Amino acid sequence: MSDDLLPERPNLRLVLPARAENVAVVRQALNGVAEGLALEAFTLTDIKIAVSEACTNVVLHAYPGREGPLVVDAWAGDGEELVVVVRDRGSGFTPAARTESAGLGLGLALIASLSKEVHIGSEPGGGTEVRMRFRLDPDREDMEVTSL
Amino acid sequence: MKASGISLERSETGVAVVVLEGDHDLSTAAALRSRLEGLIAEGVPVVVDLTPTTFIDSAILDALLSALRRARGQGLGFAALIGESPAEPAVRRIFELTQLVPLFPVLSTRSAALDAVLSGPEAR
Repeated sequence: MSDDLLPERPNLRLVLPARAENVAVVRQALNGVAEGLALEAFTLTDIKIAVSEACTNVVLHAYPGREGPLVVDAWAGDGEELVVVVRDRGSGFTPAARTESAGLGLGLALIASLSKEVHIGSEPGGGTEVRMRFRLDPDREDMEVTSL
Repeated sequence: MKASGISLERSETGVAVVVLEGDHDLSTAAALRSRLEGLIAEGVPVVVDLTPTTFIDSAILDALLSALRRARGQGLGFAALIGESPAEPAVRRIFELTQLVPLFPVLSTRSAALDAVLSGPEAR
């Protein structure tokens, strides 16, 4: 499922205040998506870890000293892959700032390790987008090899 | 004592067992860090019981590793307890992915964890 083929309407859209307590809300919503897709527990676990890390980055770094939205979209178009996009309307992506504080700087590495593909980009008009693509039937042995 | 899914038990041998129940992430990392730092400042060996934990992320790993470093600096035992077959695989998965198991004392039974931390900071 290329990005060009993503339906206009995602299966899941969340717009939440970028606060720490709302990262669990995102995970809960992913549980609902997984239920509909009958995902294996370990596949859902990997998706939840990666998406949580992306959301945590938004909470920690997107809006220093102010409030702003955490936006999460998910597409499960063909049933073979899940695309999750986490975005903010913050001050843009600075890798140094996003790796020097909480989380050991492991967040982005975990995302890269757990997703089939990740793209980090800037949003027009400001903000950052983390676009993650997950296989829904991953080969667990392959995944184990990608330890950090 | 329980707050935010973090509770504290004391073993008969004086070990503090910090039990994390449910999901833990950035929203509880500061409370966990504070609890662990307080116990280590008291000079108490610590076991963090992750058997009832359904999710942790890198913010929690950061708090655990920070506490491990502090404990070792004071010559105190510090270990994590992770069940062999948790209903939710997230805890073991993130320890494996980050390759922390060789660095972090991880035990699979409470008795083994309690014995390990009483043996000192390098006990496995």
